Amino acid sequence: MGAWGFVSLAYGIVWGSILVYVVLLKRRYGDAAAELAALKSTEAISRDAEK
Amino acid sequence: MAQSSQPTRKRKGILGALALVAIAIGLFWSLVVAPPDAYQGDAQRIMYLHLPSILTAYLSYFLVFVGSAMYLWKREKRDDLLAHSAAEIGVLFTALTIIEGSIWGRPTWGVWWTWDARLTLTAILLLIYVGYLMLRSLTEDENRAASAAAVLGIIGFLDIPLIHMSVYWWRTLHQPPSILRPDKVPWENVHPSMLTALAISFAAFLLLYFYLLSLRYRLGEMREEIKARRLGREA
Repeated sequence: MGAWGFVSLAYGIVWGSILVYVVLLKRRYGDAAAELAALKSTEAISRDAEK
Repeated sequence: MAQSSQPTRKRKGILGALALVAIAIGLFWSLVVAPPDAYQGDAQRIMYLHLPSILTAYLSYFLVFVGSAMYLWKREKRDDLLAHSAAEIGVLFTALTIIEGSIWGRPTWGVWWTWDARLTLTAILLLIYVGYLMLRSLTEDENRAASAAAVLGIIGFLDIPLIHMSVYWWRTLHQPPSILRPDKVPWENVHPSMLTALAISFAAFLLLYFYLLSLRYRLGEMREEIKARRLGREA
């Protein structure tokens, strides 16, 4: 492998891994936000029912 | 804990956009504008990833250290959240540093890996913080996990000065610093285009780091809020 081969491999692995991490983190973030919103709306419904 | 407000989300968006722009400029400068090294040729371009990623990892572990110390002192959840978030991202950047270093080592040293003092200590650093994350996920009692992890987070940080000084204390394949030398200013030693590429790449990594940290921290906050609300419903 030539010098540019090693450079491409390093840059590809680094930015590819960071991209995968960002996607996974965004997914975890989205799931938690949705779960929290669902909990809040259930609580609001329960409060309204109690009134 | 309040849900992420509109201005906070906007700030995160701006930070993410700035990181993307800086990454694009950094890539252009590192791969196109900066000249090849006189001895290593184009393989030296890996340095524009290698140095910023390890410095970002050090910054991350510094935040783990600060968050852990503050948690042990004040027992506030936000400090523990900061330490936990920073440790996760620090592990990512340390693993990437080792991989880049290995790829850079093959054309310059002729080997993918060697038990050089700096490489070995960096691998130990990675193992310590992987252990930190495993400790957190495997211990059921959250307060005990946070306290034990805080102690490990503080002890693990002590490895960083060892990594830095390893090139002076032991005979290693790693060269001593080329840029931050006490006897010379950076531009006397390194081509200005190379310094610019390094500075832009470092700025890009920092922006990306703070973007990731803000997302990861907010994720931790939301999980805490979910737990608290569930407990409130069960009570």
